[in-house]
Amino acid sequence: MKHSTLLRFTLLLVAIFSTLTSWAQVSFTVAAPTPVAVGSPFRAEFSIDSEPDRGSFNAPAFEGFEVIAGPSVSTGHSVQWINGKQTSSYNCTYTFVLMPVEEGIFTIAPATISAGGKSYSTEPLKIEVIKEQGSSSSSSTGEKPSAEGSIGKDDVFIRLRLSDTDVYKGESIRASLVLYTRIDIANIESLEMPPFNDFWSQELSFDNAPSREEYNGRIYQTYKLAEYLLSPQRSGKLTIDPVKMEIIAQVVVQDSRSIDPIFGGRQIYNVPRSLSTAPTTIDVKEFPAGAPATFNGAVGSFTMKSTLPESSIMVNTAEQIEITISGSGNLKFITKPRLVMPESFEVYDAKVADNVKVSAAGTSGSITYTFPFVARSSGEFTIDPVAFTYFDPATAEYHTLATERFTLSVADDGTSVTSAPTVIGGGYGGQMKQLDRDIRYIATDAKLRNSRDMFILSPMYWLVVVVIVALFVVAYLVLRRRIVQNRNVVARRMKRADKVAVQRLRMAQRYMAEHNRHAFYEELLRAMWGYISDKFNIPVSNLTKETIREELYRRNVSAADAEQFCQIISRADEAQYAPSVEGDMGEVYGDAVDVISKIESVVKR
Amino acid sequence: MRTHIYNIVGLLAIFVVAITFSNVATAASPATTAKARWTAGVEAYAEGNYTAAVEAFEDVVDLGYATAEVYYNLGDAYFKLGQANTSHPFATGELGRSILNFSRALKLNPAMEDAAYNLDLARDYTNDTEPLPESFIKRMWHSLRDNMTSNGWAILSVVMLALTLLLVLVYLLASRIALRKTAFFVAIATALIFILSTALSLSQRTAQLSTERAVVVCNDTAPVHASPNSASKVVRQPSQGVIVDIVRGSDEWTEIAFADGEKGWIRNNTIERI
Repeated sequence: MKHSTLLRFTLLLVAIFSTLTSWAQVSFTVAAPTPVAVGSPFRAEFSIDSEPDRGSFNAPAFEGFEVIAGPSVSTGHSVQWINGKQTSSYNCTYTFVLMPVEEGIFTIAPATISAGGKSYSTEPLKIEVIKEQGSSSSSSTGEKPSAEGSIGKDDVFIRLRLSDTDVYKGESIRASLVLYTRIDIANIESLEMPPFNDFWSQELSFDNAPSREEYNGRIYQTYKLAEYLLSPQRSGKLTIDPVKMEIIAQVVVQDSRSIDPIFGGRQIYNVPRSLSTAPTTIDVKEFPAGAPATFNGAVGSFTMKSTLPESSIMVNTAEQIEITISGSGNLKFITKPRLVMPESFEVYDAKVADNVKVSAAGTSGSITYTFPFVARSSGEFTIDPVAFTYFDPATAEYHTLATERFTLSVADDGTSVTSAPTVIGGGYGGQMKQLDRDIRYIATDAKLRNSRDMFILSPMYWLVVVVIVALFVVAYLVLRRRIVQNRNVVARRMKRADKVAVQRLRMAQRYMAEHNRHAFYEELLRAMWGYISDKFNIPVSNLTKETIREELYRRNVSAADAEQFCQIISRADEAQYAPSVEGDMGEVYGDAVDVISKIESVVKR
Repeated sequence: MRTHIYNIVGLLAIFVVAITFSNVATAASPATTAKARWTAGVEAYAEGNYTAAVEAFEDVVDLGYATAEVYYNLGDAYFKLGQANTSHPFATGELGRSILNFSRALKLNPAMEDAAYNLDLARDYTNDTEPLPESFIKRMWHSLRDNMTSNGWAILSVVMLALTLLLVLVYLLASRIALRKTAFFVAIATALIFILSTALSLSQRTAQLSTERAVVVCNDTAPVHASPNSASKVVRQPSQGVIVDIVRGSDEWTEIAFADGEKGWIRNNTIERI
């Protein structure tokens, strides 16, 4: 019991809500095809999406049309629950079948209706009535003897509709492929689009609702199959290759042999058909002469906006110049405007951000170029204007947009180019740029002389050679004697050590004769030490018996001789202060002379 | 008797002096003219009057004072003259003449770096082909040789000869063995340098005296035929300024070889020997 009251209450609420929603917006519209042909009936439908008040519908007077049937009323009501959300729709349609009587443009006057106490009226609807050419309405009435022959050449065809066929290079054209048909199409087997050579093409999204169109005096159902935005990339007569398409048409044939009493004996045949468009030629005009140097092929209508940095910046600080080009035209093809900065500025690659939309009306939007730069030295700099030139096809004129020339003062913060730690490029603070090449400047001074004289093999050359050789010969002859003498000097020098020793020994001999033992041994020792010292170039202070033995051994003196030499030194040392017989002096002297001459004979070699 | 001899000697002396002075007088005239024309040429070039500069430097060459600098300046003047005709640059063979004169400057002074640079730049305007690569030894020899002119090498060779003989004397006279040894080895080194520089000087002399290379000098391009008659096939169409080797010649035609080895016959009036 309790449940049922709750349910009822809910239903009531739903009912209230549904009426509320239906009240919210009521539309009352009229729909009828246009254009229509004289003599072929068509339907005009008045529909309201709310329950109308009974008997409140007032049909207009259909001027120019003959009302064949109607109004027939049909109503529909649907309630939907989706995820707990309820929607309801109501529809009531009044249908008239009208027959156009004569050609011209006729207006279906507003019909009125009231719903929920409020009255509504339709908009007046203009309908074009034309007189079809040829066998009027033979195909629409559907009396066909055979399936194959029933489809006339102009019953179904495709057309490539171009928005313009006489354009400038870079201008955009809208091309739409439209199927025109007066028969039913069962299926589209294949559709092959041409490659659109010499065009930049972009497929567009389009509304594929069928419509009616008059073409060559006949009324067709039209279907848009594809839509492209084309932009010719070169001038001249450009041809778009035919579009090929395979369809299957449906043909209804009245079978004359077996007429079914109930279904009429009609048979439906599927007839394959191949369709193609005619090759289309587009006249693409070259840009008129006199293009400014800054023109880079931009076509359309553009505006330029620039965002410049502050007029006073710091050295070594990243700044940027922003240039935005917006408008409609071949935005995708415009090239970056050229920004010329002073040499001491480091300019980096520009960042490009585009916001470009391609629609049936063409390409439009904006492109923003951001030029980052760093000033590396301080001073006042003038930045030249950045120019952008485009061609306006509507007026066939070139327009140049430019930023204003502005002065930039760069303040030094103490980190000038030399001391900056972040100089990019390294080395000497970045390589110097070679801007251009030209031949080097002429020589400005030269010793002019008769150039044909070549020194080599000339008489002067031979003279010089002869003089040099003669000088050599003369010098040799003059100095020859000195050379010979020199040789003797060398020989003498080699004996010098021996000589000194001999002198000293002679002195010792004199002391021996005087019986001066002490002086004799002193002189003898001096002679022996001095001989080794002179001969082997060793200071006396560095000499010991050991070193003497080593030195003599190194010079291939026999061990016995070396031993004897050292022994004599020992004996002389001892004898110098010790009393001894006279005969000793003579013996020691003789041994000393003997051993020195022996060593001399070995060492000299 | 003695006074008689003095008279004769005095007369002879006067005669010799007179001859010398007359020689100096006649020789001074073209030298000063050449100097004046040179200065005029340099000034005209600085003012941008390249026609006058070309005339002036050509005069210096005609007077016999054709040094590398004169040819270099002439090449520069022709190049600038050709470029001054902005609508049709080098319309009357200026590029060919420019390259001819840069080549002549380099022939006289192969070490002239500016001339080499300008020749390289001017040749960018021609349709000359890439030369066949030379052998390594030949390339080394040429790069060594081209550091100096024949005269430079000759002077070096004479100096080296003198030095060698001096060192031989030192070797013979020196008393210290170390000095004698040093003198001996350095003398061998200088003797080798003497031989090398003499050879380089002679080689450079041959190169400087040879007229086996030529430059195409014409208004635009000149046809090169397969055989020395105009009815034969045109095998190549070198532009002005293309440098070729001369193979052999006749009165009207010259057989030339291009840098890539291709040969053909060209009319004598379209080439100038370097």
